[in-house]
Amino acid sequence: MSGQAAEAAAPRGGVAGRAYALLLRPEASVIVVSVALVVYFEIANANFVTAANLQTLSQFVAAPVIIACGEIMLLICREIDLSVGQVFALAPFLMENINDFGAPEPLAIVAALAVCALIGLTIGLITIGLRVPSFITTLGMLFLITGLTLTISRGYPANTSGGPILTGIMGEWSYSEILWALAIVAVMHVVLRHTRWGLHTIAIGGNIVAAAEAGVAINRIKIGNFVLTSTLGGLTGLLEAFRVGSIDPLAGGSNMMFLGVASGVIGGTAIAGGAGTIIGGLVGGIMLGVLQDGFTLQGINAFMFDIVIGAAILIAMIANIHLARLRGGGPG
Amino acid sequence: MSEAIRAEKLVKTFGKITALAGVSLEVGWGETLGILGDNGAGKSTLIKILTGYHQPDSGQLFVDGRAVELASVDGARALGIECVYQDLALVNGLSIYHNMFLNRELLHWGPLRLLDHREMRRRAAEALDEIGVDVPSVELAVGALSGGQRQAIAVARAVYSKARILLLDEPLAAMGAREARLIIELIERLRARGDIAIVMIAHNYAQTLEICDRVVLMQHGEVTFESQAAATSAAELLEIVRREYRAVRAG
Repeated sequence: MSGQAAEAAAPRGGVAGRAYALLLRPEASVIVVSVALVVYFEIANANFVTAANLQTLSQFVAAPVIIACGEIMLLICREIDLSVGQVFALAPFLMENINDFGAPEPLAIVAALAVCALIGLTIGLITIGLRVPSFITTLGMLFLITGLTLTISRGYPANTSGGPILTGIMGEWSYSEILWALAIVAVMHVVLRHTRWGLHTIAIGGNIVAAAEAGVAINRIKIGNFVLTSTLGGLTGLLEAFRVGSIDPLAGGSNMMFLGVASGVIGGTAIAGGAGTIIGGLVGGIMLGVLQDGFTLQGINAFMFDIVIGAAILIAMIANIHLARLRGGGPG
Repeated sequence: MSEAIRAEKLVKTFGKITALAGVSLEVGWGETLGILGDNGAGKSTLIKILTGYHQPDSGQLFVDGRAVELASVDGARALGIECVYQDLALVNGLSIYHNMFLNRELLHWGPLRLLDHREMRRRAAEALDEIGVDVPSVELAVGALSGGQRQAIAVARAVYSKARILLLDEPLAAMGAREARLIIELIERLRARGDIAIVMIAHNYAQTLEICDRVVLMQHGEVTFESQAAATSAAELLEIVRREYRAVRAG
């Protein structure tokens, strides 16, 4: 049961009320737009709905969606992580270096993710403990980690190692990355909607004074969400590295971070905090993926694509704010 | 009427400023006490001492006839003392039942510790029903409610969490007549239960006299007037305050 759908449905009730409530949800409008886009691209270019293209599409979508799962949690509690794309690039090098020291590949993966978690912990401690806005903390981390990755790699790409089963699971098999994304979406949806952690994350972003009054462990939850985001960023970097088969020191980056944030925001997560859904991040990511993939098929150039993404985010934000007002609650 | 909370000669200074200069008052179970006074009279300091936020320099508090030290807000809460603020207490984006159970959530049995939404909805509806707070659905976002309804939800949450001594800070501030009526009726129902003591701070003399059993008037950190509500009038209270102003201006 989702709280938000029911909230909007309550004044009307019945099937019509439920349907009306569903349509008011930010995810619904994004799904409608995505379906319309798929129809358009299929008409404009008959190759859109094919197994090969759906596989490409799933690969476009997976990484931003996993990143979005972390950023959505942070945005809801009024924080942001700008450095997640740099952790994305660092993680595979960490893994390879640990592997070079003689650790077996699975252990190297776990160790690399642990270091990513530590980066998240550092961000959280600086932001909460030293009261530096997370925008600034993670901006600093962005440059710091870029330098770290370039130092470790000496600026050269590397190849992933590991047996076929491991690399298959970790991203080389065509659909493994999207399956990771869907599994993480499922888990994070439950965390956000059906655990105290998620509820408290929303409460902190909605009214931090009220959350504090009720005794919510604000610092612990914020720091935890930083750890989560960095770890997911690292995991995404590993998955992409295994999929491509090589490790690029300039992979991910701010572009990846912005795609993750944009997926969340397009899917209805409020930049001002207090509201958002993981499912929204998934549909937002799908919409961006459909756009990117569709335009690629049509041969529209990369410059144009940035214009379209920018416009899509603006339109989604405007719709987001006005729908929130219609719902009568939320941040609007 | 047995005594719920009693303050004896509370003194509180901040540097050179004396916020409370020996305030004594008491409230019984089933009684509603109104504290009137202008800004700077010491009402807020008094409330903050009663909620454990500030500690008095001297003086003694008694709850249920026993001497207590309220070292913290949590300590006061453990004794059943809770202050209800209209807008500070609730998260607008969350539903009524999530707000009522914030940080006291009910969980499903099992290792996953998932939220038991159904049971929380049921109990929230029950608790609101019990004290006569009428909302269309406990699944509504608090932000969709009127100011009066929000205040009622905040009070209901305090009562549900076993608060027995309710401190209401300006419960009727910025409320229309119909909204105010909602809260006045709620306070009357709680009073009728007989096991709750209510202390409310207010500016509006006439309204306070209507709601409360007894009123005290605070001026410059002291209780300067005390009366059963029925035995005084807004005009009399105003006259006392005016006399004070004249005295200050003259001397």
